Amino acid sequence: MLVAGLYAAMSYGLALIYGVLKIINLANAGFLMLGAYVTWWLFTAFHVHPLLAPLAIVPLFFLFGSALERTLVRRVLGAEPIISLLLLFGVWLVLQNLAYVIWTGDTRSIDTPFIDATVSVAGMQLAVPRLYVFAMGVLVLVGLQLFLTRTYLGRAIRATAQDRDAARLVGVDVERVNGIAFGIGIALAGFGGSLLSLLFSFTPDFGRTLSLKSFCIVVLGGLDSIVGVAFGALSLSLAEAFGVRYMPASLQNLISFVVLVVVLIVLPKGIVGTLRALRRG
Amino acid sequence: MLELHELAVAYGDVRVLWDVSLRVERGEIVTLVGANGAGKTTLLRAISRTVPVLAGRIELEGERIDRAPSARVVERGVAHVPEGRRLWPDMNVEDNLRLGSYPRRARVDVEASLEHVFTLFPRVKERRRQVCGTLSGGEQQMVAIGRGLMSKPTILMLDEPSLGLAPIVVSEMFAAVQRINAEGTTVLLVEQNVRQALEIATRGYVIETGRVVGSGTPDELLASDQIKKAYLGL
Repeated sequence: MLVAGLYAAMSYGLALIYGVLKIINLANAGFLMLGAYVTWWLFTAFHVHPLLAPLAIVPLFFLFGSALERTLVRRVLGAEPIISLLLLFGVWLVLQNLAYVIWTGDTRSIDTPFIDATVSVAGMQLAVPRLYVFAMGVLVLVGLQLFLTRTYLGRAIRATAQDRDAARLVGVDVERVNGIAFGIGIALAGFGGSLLSLLFSFTPDFGRTLSLKSFCIVVLGGLDSIVGVAFGALSLSLAEAFGVRYMPASLQNLISFVVLVVVLIVLPKGIVGTLRALRRG
Repeated sequence: MLELHELAVAYGDVRVLWDVSLRVERGEIVTLVGANGAGKTTLLRAISRTVPVLAGRIELEGERIDRAPSARVVERGVAHVPEGRRLWPDMNVEDNLRLGSYPRRARVDVEASLEHVFTLFPRVKERRRQVCGTLSGGEQQMVAIGRGLMSKPTILMLDEPSLGLAPIVVSEMFAAVQRINAEGTTVLLVEQNVRQALEIATRGYVIETGRVVGSGTPDELLASDQIKKAYLGL
């Protein structure tokens, strides 16, 4: 269940980008991978503790994301979905191949005493990195939620996601909001990747399966709701935790896709979307 | 304070407005009347810069705004309350209103503006914590007008505020518009409810298939055969 924090952290960005720009960030896996590599690289080359890496990754990825939106993504907004899917798939491939060139295809992992530390809570041995990642997942949730509900910029982001034209009419510069939302989405992916590097070893191909799980989570939670994402992450991790008790562990990944198909058929708006529709009557 | 000179607007190849010239003076309520599809909504959208202007000029207190970004127009004091209200359905009433004060000029006074809106529409105050999707049509319209007022506009543009409302609520709405105007806000009103709109207006323009075909005081317009036949069913 602790893995829920990880699932959530790597999915928030996807939901935010979809909510505001209405495009699916297929490059999400690439930025997860990049976040993991940058964390590893800072650690091996500069002895930066992996827990400090996000301090560099978050602002850098934010700037990179905004720049990417301004130069490339902006041109395909409003076009048919396939165009932005292809563009971001292309970005993913470029990132992946860059990683092969820079860091080769060897499997990397981060090894510090922190990674192997455990604590016992109520008689259970818990891995410290897992607890940490879970706490971070919750922290980012709370932080994002406060940002989106309490600040003018955050409210402008929500307003743009719910009705672009209405946002424009109260004076929101929606083009700027696009850039900021994409930047935050990429920064969250980088942060998620940095957290992942604490738990898994990785190659430039890293993030593929996890990103598919992210898609499952955002569909489950509703594509544009941060709380929904946290809820989706929790549901999926619980489903997996129970699932492995009754079936071979190798089938664990199957669970998310079964959940995905079932949700798409039964609750096509996701859990949060369905609740909202009910609340509106 | 607001002047349009030979304004032309097109959506792609479809021309919607031809050579529209009109003028709104400070303190007025100017109403635009005309059939569905005449281009009234497009006219307001051109002023709020949410559709591109093909040719002509829009001047606000002598400054051209026809190439300005929409955010700049709001900052300069033009609020556009769109047709269909366009509230953010998943935000509560108060959040919708507070975002109306997005322009920097308006942010410092957000609490005072909120009180002002609540005085104007006490029912909105009762519903402040409710999600907008759950409100009645009339309440939503009040929130939409309130959101427009939150930007502390000098000119408030209302697009069909009475659309889809019960007659009693419609009268309330027109009374509110009059009160807003009496408090010093200039109003540009688009309405299908021609008679009631002209009753509160200082002047009116008639728009047909994208052109201004008539203008005058409410009395002149109500007396003209053109208006009588087309809009009042007399």
